Amino acid sequence: MKRLTPWIVGLLFLIPTGLLVYKSQVLNLSLLPQKVDDVWNFYISVKPKDAAATSVAFPIPRAGDGLKISEERIRGKGFDTLIDRNSDSAMLTWLSKEPMTKRVSYTARIDITPVIVRKIDKDYTSVYPRQIKKYLKQPVLTPEEETAIKLLEGAIFEGGEDKSLIARKAFYYVHEEIQRNVKFRTIVDALSSGKGSPLIKARLYAYLLRRKQVPARIVAMLRLPLITDSPVEKHQLTYASEVFLNNRWIAVDTNRGHFGERPDRYLVMHHHYEEVEKTIAKSKVAYTIRADRAVMNKFNKEEYRKDVLRKGSFFSFISLYRLPLPVQNIFNMILLIPLGALVLCVARNLVGIPTFGMFTPILLTMFFRETSLSFGLFFFLSVVAIGCIERYVLDKLYLLAVPRMSIILTLVIVLLMVIAFTGLAEFFGASHIGYFPIVIVTAFIERFSIMMTEDGMVNTMKTLLGTLVISILSYSLYSISMLEIVMFTNPEMLFYVMGLLVLIGKYKGYRLSEFIRFRDLIAQVKKKGTA
Amino acid sequence: MIFRELREFGILGINNRIGRYILRHNKRSNYPLVDDKVKTATRADAWGVPMPENYFVITNFGDLKKLPQLVTNMQSFVIKPANGSQGNGIVVVSEVLKDEKGWISFRRSSGKIMNMEEVRHHISGILSGMYSLSGLPDTAIIQQKIDMHPVFNDYCFGGIPDVRVIVHAGFPVMSMVRLPTRDSDGKANLHQGAIGAGINLKDGTTHNAVIKNHVVEKHPDTGHLLNGLVIPHWQEVLELAARCYDMVELGYLGVDIVLTPDQGPILLELNARPGLAIQIANQAGLVPRLEKIAQEGPQGLTAKERVALSQSWF
Repeated sequence: MKRLTPWIVGLLFLIPTGLLVYKSQVLNLSLLPQKVDDVWNFYISVKPKDAAATSVAFPIPRAGDGLKISEERIRGKGFDTLIDRNSDSAMLTWLSKEPMTKRVSYTARIDITPVIVRKIDKDYTSVYPRQIKKYLKQPVLTPEEETAIKLLEGAIFEGGEDKSLIARKAFYYVHEEIQRNVKFRTIVDALSSGKGSPLIKARLYAYLLRRKQVPARIVAMLRLPLITDSPVEKHQLTYASEVFLNNRWIAVDTNRGHFGERPDRYLVMHHHYEEVEKTIAKSKVAYTIRADRAVMNKFNKEEYRKDVLRKGSFFSFISLYRLPLPVQNIFNMILLIPLGALVLCVARNLVGIPTFGMFTPILLTMFFRETSLSFGLFFFLSVVAIGCIERYVLDKLYLLAVPRMSIILTLVIVLLMVIAFTGLAEFFGASHIGYFPIVIVTAFIERFSIMMTEDGMVNTMKTLLGTLVISILSYSLYSISMLEIVMFTNPEMLFYVMGLLVLIGKYKGYRLSEFIRFRDLIAQVKKKGTA
Repeated sequence: MIFRELREFGILGINNRIGRYILRHNKRSNYPLVDDKVKTATRADAWGVPMPENYFVITNFGDLKKLPQLVTNMQSFVIKPANGSQGNGIVVVSEVLKDEKGWISFRRSSGKIMNMEEVRHHISGILSGMYSLSGLPDTAIIQQKIDMHPVFNDYCFGGIPDVRVIVHAGFPVMSMVRLPTRDSDGKANLHQGAIGAGINLKDGTTHNAVIKNHVVEKHPDTGHLLNGLVIPHWQEVLELAARCYDMVELGYLGVDIVLTPDQGPILLELNARPGLAIQIANQAGLVPRLEKIAQEGPQGLTAKERVALSQSWF
């Protein structure tokens, strides 16, 4: 007997671990569906400033590394539109026969993922393909600029660095030595004051690299707000850089200090700003850019389902994803019940919180889940009130047990009607109330009323509180949306729960409540011992 | 660790009681013998263990009609659920009253008067399982009312006391007497505020008393000093308790005994899941005693021999 427990517990832990490892390592399934947050509803509207203009052009995001675009829509009645997709960027042009008086717009749904290059090797490239050569174009500098940059180069480069190191050294300088300040817009100003606008910092960076024969370009982009930021109504273009190392473009942001990383909040509008600088200058075109987060914390279950079924393994058969959607929804909810039971076991057997029976807290949790927490609590307290009616009114009538319970049942239904008439459910944000609570609640009231009679108000209220606390604790499990999806995707984790339950079941130590119960006893015995 | 002291004092906790003692030593199939008082009475009868006389049992709602007839000639009686626990559902009728028209009413031990309808309602509650351990329909027992032994006159308020003995593998382990108070509504129920007074196993003398968790020296209602009460027929009490082990074969057993003025100690009821408050009443932990029995308690002894061993140990 003694040896059996560790074996069983071991098995209960090993089985799901083995399955999880097999799924992730052998079948190469991810253990969770892909999260699809950071999808943006993107919107641009433009209008040329020149009232006589018959066309207007503006860069639009182009699908590529870390950027997915769907549901593209171009608006502008009576216009011809033209999308010019060159190597990295896209320009959208609206053409009209008459002067443009109205705004035209472009919308799309955009999914951004971060692009990170972790390892940047040394680069000694000396010859570049033709299409890259334009990014080596030397800027035209004034004599003052020339002198200032030369001075700077002497200070930051030693000579003999490979191109990756040049890119890095220039990055450190521009990022750390030049403070971001939109008022300083020329290279000389920036170098003499140590302050520069994002654009001038990007320019300086590109120039420094090009002078060392490293291809570099300025990127026009939007920096989208984080989930924690307040939403931005209208977005402004800002600038970052890209440098061509080891045959690929690497993202650099000298303003926010990213080297080799483009975060998923960076939406690149155009990869070669110098090329479109004139076209989109504020003097030429009025534009409004909006981007709103579309979905948050949703998981792409459909894709995952396909993925699971494609594997054609044993797991495709036991995966809950293959079930019809309504059944899936049920399991989504009930898979957390064993976890709730785990909470209950800890609360009762390790802590020693009293509850009404074993199932009341679990059922109450499900009721909260079906309606809402606030409504659930309200309903529960109304039910307690009915329990008091039973205790103080029905008791006096000396009814037989079954008719008496039936009266309670009827009262519960009356309560449901009152709730429906007064719109209380909507008030508390509950969607609907099923048949579910009626019978449970009736049984609960009976127990409650008996306990009031036998154990008195104080004990009953303690138990009531215990029941509520545990229900709310298990209900809070449902608010961790991650937990639901984890259990749904990997239901074998129920074995873990069982393993833990066996361990709790084997616990013979004290309950926390006993520490309080026997506290006085110990104090008294000690006192006697010293006296 | 906050439980260090509990462990040092050998306090038995609920989990330990269930896991190590009740589940290990009490066979599930024997539970009905103690849970159902009708079955206990039958078994006790066969073993010659004295219990209060059961006048009759009520199993059907239909029998309630005959109730006036059945009780009309009784002086007093007790109504009990056969499967009750913790004294719930028990009504003690100390006097059956009849007015000129022949209507019967009942005076309870607490002094309250119940009419026939109230009594019927109470019994129907028992039958529908309101007080039963499992919640299933139950049987009501109409039982002889036990009178209080005069030695307790100054120690009780409203009801009669009983002596609880914990018996492990047939050895008495620990004992207390439960004395009703006004707060406990005359019931010998510690949860409701009755006094628990620990008894020295060697001589049957109370040595410490508590109400709930607090030590008390005097009875709150009678003002009598609680320590030093000598339980009459103490040897018989312990031997009766020890014999119950042989009778129901439960290794961890709570035996409740009442002392009658004329019959001596008689068995009131048995409990397969006795509570832990007895440790507070005795200011001692159960664990060291239970372990002593597990390690040194020889098997195959008679009840008398086991009692003698226990008394030498504890």
